[in-house]
Amino acid sequence: MLAKRITTILPDLTFEEALEVTKIHSISGMTDNDIGIITKRPFRSPHHTISPTSMIGGGVIPKPGEISLAHNGVLFLDELPEFNRNTLEVLRGPLEDRNVTISRLYSKVVYPANFMLVTSMNPCPCGYYGSIEKECKCSKLAIEKYLNRISGPLLDRIDLHVEVKPVKYQKLNSGNKVESSKQIKERVNNARRIQYLRYKDLNIFSNAELTPKMIEKYCVLNEECKKILELAFNKLGLSARAYGRILKVARTIADLDGSNNIQKQHLAEAIQYRSLDRKYGDKF
Amino acid sequence: MIANVKTISLNGIDGNLVEVQTDITGGLPTFEIVGLPDTSVRESKERIKSAIKNSEIEFASRRIIINLAPASSKKEGTSYDLPIAVGILAALNEIMSTNLENTIFIGELSLDGKINRVNGILPMCIEALNLGIKRVILPKGNEREASIVKGLEIIGVKNLKELVKYLNKEIEIEVIKADILKLFNKNYKEEIDFSEVKGQENVKRALEIAAAGRT
Repeated sequence: MLAKRITTILPDLTFEEALEVTKIHSISGMTDNDIGIITKRPFRSPHHTISPTSMIGGGVIPKPGEISLAHNGVLFLDELPEFNRNTLEVLRGPLEDRNVTISRLYSKVVYPANFMLVTSMNPCPCGYYGSIEKECKCSKLAIEKYLNRISGPLLDRIDLHVEVKPVKYQKLNSGNKVESSKQIKERVNNARRIQYLRYKDLNIFSNAELTPKMIEKYCVLNEECKKILELAFNKLGLSARAYGRILKVARTIADLDGSNNIQKQHLAEAIQYRSLDRKYGDKF
Repeated sequence: MIANVKTISLNGIDGNLVEVQTDITGGLPTFEIVGLPDTSVRESKERIKSAIKNSEIEFASRRIIINLAPASSKKEGTSYDLPIAVGILAALNEIMSTNLENTIFIGELSLDGKINRVNGILPMCIEALNLGIKRVILPKGNEREASIVKGLEIIGVKNLKELVKYLNKEIEIEVIKADILKLFNKNYKEEIDFSEVKGQENVKRALEIAAAGRT
């Protein structure tokens, strides 16, 4: 329910982006002749029984897969551990390269695949591991087996982890006004503008694209922040791979805040989004 | 007689020019397609034969050889039906072949001569524009999508009979023009909104950060 609404807060497609999306949908025969051009960001949520080929594309003469259909949009994988492990592993390359090269005997094609990956999963088979309300009935082995279906490298590529807690009845019933997508989108657009101006000489557009060298330049921490990060690393057992991710996320949070420098509250929030590392420690 | 008709094939999201060469001579009646056609292209023979016959055009058995050049790359899909049929009609002198210059033909044929929509029209038209082609003749059902590409004369046709009349300048077909920026800027109404989700502020915040940090 939440994942589906991400497309409503993403910035509008530019004309060039819309053209790319329409091209891919045109090849797959998914365009609507009445409208002509696709102006909405795509949202794809394939069922977990999907095969690796339909995920990345293929066939004798390769056709675009789900990741290309989600180009410039969102790919949502519900119940991540239920997916075939091979299907998930093929995502690793495209997540880094933002395109996919499919080679066949008679043809080799490159399809764009610049998508935002959103996934959901249960903490354990019964769904209550780490819950304060109900006790988890799963054995340690069962939890490990469940988590083992997702590989560490894939999880490392996911920047933000959040726990979804059950909503209290009072909240459901309260007449409090909830923020609309339009309000959130405005903040998102502001943050994007800040990034665009900062990176305009670098040929990148967003914090997600920062290379390690750029991180050193644009994600500078003050002494206090450095101490917090050091503490977090030692105490929470964070991986070295998580380092760059945390800094990039902290940079984005600072941008949303309109702040020039990363401050301790931005960093602390970013660290908080490594909750899977924290919860399961070295299980991955 | 020989006739040359141009069409476009797809490789991934890029188009490539393909020339459909038709040679019709006397001799033992055959209908061959060469140039690495796959099953769907080879099947087009039957569709083309029926479509021409059912468009009130005489189609006597002759020796027909079609070559899809460059002959070294694989051809697939049903979009070659129309250029092959046009090539045959031009070689039979049913169409004035002077009218085939600078034109791309794309489309699938029905047995009754109707022209059906095909996939991949947008990348094909973009390639046509890059090649300096002036006119693209394609199925009526694809014309809106094709009209996104500016600088091309897009002609949407319903059936083979109409196309023959158009190419012989007996009738006019209106060129479709779309105000693409107007189409693009048309505000669509979102049916879903974050205001429908109560609670879960931490998740919403994470989604906001994700939206702000990625391209």
